[in-house]
Amino acid sequence: MDQWVYPTTGLHEKDFETGRVLVETWKSKAEYAWDAGIAMGRFLEELRRGRLVGRRCNSCHRVLFPPRMFCEQCFRPTGDWVPLAETGTVITYSLVHVRWDMVRLDQPLVPAVVAIDGASAGMGILHLLGEANPESVKIGLRVQAVWKKPEEREGAITDIRYFKPIS
Amino acid sequence: MGSADTLEHPTEARTWKGNIPVWHRYTAGIAGERFLRTLKDQGKILGARCQSCGVVYVPPRMYCERCLKPLPDGEWKEVGPRGELVSFTRIFLDLDGEPLQSPRWVGLVRLEGASGVLIHYLHLPEGIAPRPGMPVEAVLKPALERRGSILDIEHWKVL
Repeated sequence: MDQWVYPTTGLHEKDFETGRVLVETWKSKAEYAWDAGIAMGRFLEELRRGRLVGRRCNSCHRVLFPPRMFCEQCFRPTGDWVPLAETGTVITYSLVHVRWDMVRLDQPLVPAVVAIDGASAGMGILHLLGEANPESVKIGLRVQAVWKKPEEREGAITDIRYFKPIS
Repeated sequence: MGSADTLEHPTEARTWKGNIPVWHRYTAGIAGERFLRTLKDQGKILGARCQSCGVVYVPPRMYCERCLKPLPDGEWKEVGPRGELVSFTRIFLDLDGEPLQSPRWVGLVRLEGASGVLIHYLHLPEGIAPRPGMPVEAVLKPALERRGSILDIEHWKVL
C-alpha cells in the first residue's frame, strides 16, 4: 500500500505568515440578486406592512405558511391569500451560546420555530424569541410578534424583531 | 404550476440582494513552489524534462503527465526567456466581469526549450500588430518587487 501513497506535507497558518510557503489569497465577488417570486414577494411585501399572510391549497385546503404557489403534498396550485394572526406557538427552539461567527454569548440567543395561528398545523417560521427568560422557554409557549417601526421595515423577515411570550 | 395570480403592487416584484463572501487561499504545491521561488530569487523560468518521452513541462511537474515517470531534480532546467508567440487575444473585462480601464493583450508563448505554452500579458508597442511566430521575451519585475507569483513576469515583450 505504501508504494502508492505519496508523502504529504502538512501546512500551518505560521507557514503562510512567515512566508515559508508561498500562497495566493483572493476574494471572489459572489454577489447575487435572488428573485423572490410571487408567493415570497407578496410575503415580504406584507411583512413590510406589518402583516403575515399564507396561501390555501385548492385541493387539500391546508393553509401554507410561508405562502407557496403550489402545495407540496398535492402538487396542485394554491389559490387564496389567507391573512394570519401575529401570534403563534413555539414548536421547537434552541439555546445558542456560541454564535454563527464563533462568538461566545453570555446571554443565549433563542431561535425558535413558531407555528402561526391561522395557518395549518406545524406551519411555522424560524425566528428569534425576545424578552423571554431562557429557563422558561418550552415547546407550546404562546408568543406574539414584536415588529420594527413601520418606517424601519424593509420587506424582510427581520421586520419582525422577535417573538415575545404572551403574558 | 402556473397560477393566474398577477402582482397587485409593483413592490411585490422583488429581488433579494446578497453576497456570499468567499475567500480563496491557493498554494502552488512542491513543484510549483520551486518554480515560483526560482522565478522570484533567481529571475529564471524553470522547466522539467521527462527522460522517457522528452516533453518539457513549464511550469514543472512532480511527474510526467503522459508516462507517469517522476521528474527528478536533474531534469529541471532553465527555459526561455525568449520564445515564440503562438497565439494571442485582446481582453476587455477583468475576472469579475467588470470592464478594464483599457483593454490588454494576452499572448500564448512557447519558450525556448519548453514543449507547452505559457499565457501572460503581451506588451505591444504603438502601431505593432501581433502575429503568430513573432519572437518575444519574458520581461521580469525588478528583483525587489518579485514575490513568488506568476506576476513576477511583467509581460512578454516583442523583440
